[in-house]
Amino acid sequence: MNRERAETHLRLMVEAEMRDAVSAKPVSSAPWSADSPNASFPVVAKVAQALTAVGALDAEAAEDILADFAFAVAVRQGSDLGSLGLRSLRLAGWTPFARPMPFTWPPPTGLLSAAKADPAAGERPAGPGAGEPDRVLPVGVMIPFRQDRVRGELVLMSYAHTISGARFAVAWWIGDSADADRVRFAHPAMLPAPDITTRDDKGASYGLRFTGSGGPEWTGDLILDPEPKRDVRWLDIALPGGPAVRIALGPGSPDGAGPLVKKTGLSSGEHLLNTTAEQLLTIGTDVPLRFRTQGPYISLATGLGAVVAALEAAEVLSALSPVPGQLATLCASLRIYEHGITAAPAHDLPEPWLSVLAHYHRRKPEAPGRDGYAAVGLALPELDGIRLALLGLHNVAGGSVLDVLVNAVAGPVPLSVWVHDSGGRWHATRQVGSRPPRLASSGERRVRLQLTPPLNQSTPWIEVVVVGMSAEVRAKVPLRWRYPP
Amino acid sequence: MINNPNGRWFDCLPSCQAQVPCGHARHTVRWEAGSLVLSEHPDAEGEQVLAALGGDKAGCVELAEAWGRHIADLSMLAIGPRGPADEIVVGWEDVAEAAQASQGRPGYPGRRPRPAQQIQPRPTPMAKPIRASARAVSAHRQAQAEVDRARQRRNDLLSLLALGYGFQVRLIGHVAAAHADRSDERVRPALVAAITGRLAPVAERWLGIDPDQVAVSLEHRPGCRATELTGRGEERQLRVSLPAGWLASVWACGLALVGRYLVVAVEQAGWPDARVLGLRSPGAEPVPLDVHAAADAHDGPADAPHWEI
Repeated sequence: MNRERAETHLRLMVEAEMRDAVSAKPVSSAPWSADSPNASFPVVAKVAQALTAVGALDAEAAEDILADFAFAVAVRQGSDLGSLGLRSLRLAGWTPFARPMPFTWPPPTGLLSAAKADPAAGERPAGPGAGEPDRVLPVGVMIPFRQDRVRGELVLMSYAHTISGARFAVAWWIGDSADADRVRFAHPAMLPAPDITTRDDKGASYGLRFTGSGGPEWTGDLILDPEPKRDVRWLDIALPGGPAVRIALGPGSPDGAGPLVKKTGLSSGEHLLNTTAEQLLTIGTDVPLRFRTQGPYISLATGLGAVVAALEAAEVLSALSPVPGQLATLCASLRIYEHGITAAPAHDLPEPWLSVLAHYHRRKPEAPGRDGYAAVGLALPELDGIRLALLGLHNVAGGSVLDVLVNAVAGPVPLSVWVHDSGGRWHATRQVGSRPPRLASSGERRVRLQLTPPLNQSTPWIEVVVVGMSAEVRAKVPLRWRYPP
Repeated sequence: MINNPNGRWFDCLPSCQAQVPCGHARHTVRWEAGSLVLSEHPDAEGEQVLAALGGDKAGCVELAEAWGRHIADLSMLAIGPRGPADEIVVGWEDVAEAAQASQGRPGYPGRRPRPAQQIQPRPTPMAKPIRASARAVSAHRQAQAEVDRARQRRNDLLSLLALGYGFQVRLIGHVAAAHADRSDERVRPALVAAITGRLAPVAERWLGIDPDQVAVSLEHRPGCRATELTGRGEERQLRVSLPAGWLASVWACGLALVGRYLVVAVEQAGWPDARVLGLRSPGAEPVPLDVHAAADAHDGPADAPHWEI
């Protein structure tokens, strides 16, 4: 990586744009606006983001360069000088690229330590449970409930005890009734979470508090309060008027084989371009062709050629890398032509990309499957300073969502997550929701990853493939599906 | 400052002056031999002391302070003019409007800075709320301080640009000279971009080359400069190796292109006569040229020096 060349490249891009500004060609004065009518600023900003994302340029330096650029253009083109320089430039605010966290979760043990990518990473923050290993287990229990005129099923998908506490990853499936939509799309206060009684094998009792998001189902966490001890063997859970259901919290052996870790051999530039390809695959396959020239979609593709050139200048992408050519081929397959990549299109694409493209070119939407919830609970080894735990998988309203717990900065998780199903099909993922950490110092976030294409119901197992800059983790996960009535 | 045995970097520059709003009047501010001179304020330092004690600060004095704050600010290279054809449209009315938008905050000529508003946490009997309130007040103060700094910087830069082209290029010269002898990796990218952005239009006039095809590298060995032209037609590329001081001693002095020569160094600095080293074509050996500042009108800004062989 050559940080000096990276910064020089960005500054020279700005100089080239300034020649247009000097010759009075139109240049927008809002470099941080993704929907700017002029392409030059978004391209420069995108290059700055890319260099920042791979660590070739400090975010502060990139923001200063863009701020000076904005200032220079404004004083030449008579823009509003009153607000000049006062706007907050935060690259990560709209970037499709994100940076890893500067610290790690608890030190992994055994197999997990083999994947630790950043030995210089900081220490685990102090707090309850500090120093204890994470405990993430599949549960797969469905408990019927009835609250006033609302009835449904509480699906316990997994149990996770981490630095920020213990919780069940749950989904509240709401059955049809007169008040069902009020509960589905209004406030979860109508759910009976506070009335659930919980007791462990030592006789201790716990309250449960639900946090999550809704419509048409409510998914999220049932948080145990107080935090139980780490050696709890089982929990009895009873909903109002119902019998207690025992949830065995075994020694923590995950289903299936343990995760496999191997080095990817990818450069940070290739990793960044691969994540961009995944964004094109997950957004592009959802966007009708006639909308391809608008909004975030075209913004995502614009300037990719400039990004490739910048990554090469920063020496984080080899000129011989096949990835730019693969990205060009992908763009052509998705009928995106304004990407600016000069590399010759590649003949061979990675198998996962081809699989998703095959779904896209099939063009016939598949009939949405039945709603279902799969018990998944597995902590994956750390990658690039980020740890990810699988908490649950659900098929609802024709879409598939993988719930994960992750320690990473706000914004997109800078890891590539793919799902390979038992039928051989690949599914790209896109982050569609995120909740802030319960314990701020933990850095943990609950993230929803939407699968493209959706997973078939009753898929017996999946392989989750998480790719970072340094290595990739593969974990085969049996799915225990539960279907509401 | 450049250690130039043949004189100071600005010895090829004449003085220049501008009219600056100061209170209810307009005062003359002059740049002369590397210094800013406030003609109407012979005891500027004394005025600064009085202002620090709560007195009014004159607009001229504020401007001089802004000049001092940015005399080594690399942002000036990114914002300032790339050449005489690069017109920056900032007038004193723009500065005043921007200052009004600042609602009386410090950092622009003609206004007296107001003390920052003090925010007192309300007393409460609860210990926890006090801590929370103290944190909120501290965060608010920090955010306000950042906004004030941004405003002052914005108003500084606008005021300096409003001085006109002559002051702008001289300030760029000062900035380049300040970093010329210590061009470490933290400042090299800014210097390379600054030279490229200013050499490219000069090279276009010199060779008719596409300005996007000009590549600059920094030369650190004293006395060494290199140029190379590669390719043909639209593929032509000009590679130039220059010291950072070129921006100050040559470009800022208006000497970059004299006649049909690209000037790479000043051999004997002076105004209105100087001796420079110029290249007739890429790759050629530099030849000494005696140049003379032309007093007659030309196409560029009034303050832009113009030289002839």
